[in-house]
Amino acid sequence: MSEDLNQKISQFLDNELDPFEALSLLKKMRSQPELQDKLNRYEMTSHAMKADAFLLKKADFSTKIHQQIQQEPVYLLPQRKRLKPSHKQIAVAASFLIVAVIVGRSMNDPDQPFKAASALQVEQQQHPEKSVSPAEVPQSQLNKRINDYLQAHNNSVYTNGEANFQPFARVATYSQK
Amino acid sequence: MMSVKCFFVLGFLLTGSVSASEPVLNARQVLAKMNHAMEVLNYQGTVAFLKNGKLEPMKYVHAADKGVQQEHLLSLNSPLREIIRDADQVSCLFKETQQTIVDHRPFEHSFLVDMPKNLDDMGGIYQFEIVGEENIAMRPSYIVAIQPKDNARYPRKIWIEKQQFLPLKVVVYDNSGVLLEQVVFTDIEVKKSMPFVDVKFLDAVYPAQPVHQIQLQSSDQAAFVVTQLPTGFRELFFVRKPMHNAEQPVDHLLLSDGFTSVSIYMENKMASLQPGLQSVGAINSYSRTINNFQLTVMGEVPAETVKFIAEGIQLRD
Repeated sequence: MSEDLNQKISQFLDNELDPFEALSLLKKMRSQPELQDKLNRYEMTSHAMKADAFLLKKADFSTKIHQQIQQEPVYLLPQRKRLKPSHKQIAVAASFLIVAVIVGRSMNDPDQPFKAASALQVEQQQHPEKSVSPAEVPQSQLNKRINDYLQAHNNSVYTNGEANFQPFARVATYSQK
Repeated sequence: MMSVKCFFVLGFLLTGSVSASEPVLNARQVLAKMNHAMEVLNYQGTVAFLKNGKLEPMKYVHAADKGVQQEHLLSLNSPLREIIRDADQVSCLFKETQQTIVDHRPFEHSFLVDMPKNLDDMGGIYQFEIVGEENIAMRPSYIVAIQPKDNARYPRKIWIEKQQFLPLKVVVYDNSGVLLEQVVFTDIEVKKSMPFVDVKFLDAVYPAQPVHQIQLQSSDQAAFVVTQLPTGFRELFFVRKPMHNAEQPVDHLLLSDGFTSVSIYMENKMASLQPGLQSVGAINSYSRTINNFQLTVMGEVPAETVKFIAEGIQLRD
């Protein structure tokens, strides 16, 4: 029996054992540590004969790896809750409602020049009416002051039809060097 | 043989008589004659003002009688307006709004070109040269180049008519030769006399709105001190007056080198004026803040010049 097991261990290392017999051999190794030690010795002998090098492997190497794997903490990550079909329908309906309200307001507003604008465009157009961009206010003040300064500086404002004191002169601004 | 000698002598005398009737003029003499002609002649025509990228054609009339002058301009395009200069007063009537504005401008003399009376003082900063001849409004003209000797101001050319010495075209270039502004007659005629427009009649029809009532003050009262200027610039006037339709006073110092003028404005920092360089046609300006004051230097000079002047301005102690 012992020689039969040794034969099977040797065949197992040479990958000559059929799967059913290999599975039966591994089960026996789990219950009989001496068989596992024998497998390790055969494996080292085979490795030394094939690679001309001796690799010392402790007998409890695989056992310690197994124990450490067993001691690894388990992280229980939260799983996504799947939306129920009814929730999806409610979200889609709410989106359509918001778009309908925005488009409806823009269609009724006579000041909106783009009545056929998409919802995204309408939303972008509504911002400037409520809050003028910071660059626009200084530009008008800048033009007023520059126009006053130009008028006081020389008489070219009279022959320049743009100035006319009320409309703003065209002012080009460029960055400093 | 004798007849050949007589021919050469006659030819020499004829050549001498021609050169005596048309003496060769240098650029300064041509400019001096232009100054005189602009003051004493009566002339009218159509003038195109090309400024800030816009063409503005106007009817132009200059009347002169016994040392009194009047310029009268009528715009051909909207906004329709009638502009009259009597000595140091400029009246502008806007036809569409029926508004008359009266402006006091004591240091300007012409809408065509403002020339210094004495060119002898200009030799240190400008070089004058006749660089050619061309026809403008079908009249033969000298081309006089006024080239600054530094890069602190712009070069210009004046086309001066050879018979009457009137300026037919004035062009201002930047220092790379790009045209910035142009004033050109498309037609002109000189007459023995021209009628003066009665400005008081206009005032009665359209009540005048005075814009600038300048009472000149000493620049010692200015809130600032100018510590660095390009060569040749000197103070023309200083005034402290309200601007921007408010009671907020603004200090205004006007400087000039004879051809080119620069204004310095300083007022309390109310609204934020964008700092740095700005450009309106040939006019550049540079603004910066000094403590609670807003400073702006403006003039038809390169951007580097207004920045140079502005950076040398300090608050008066």
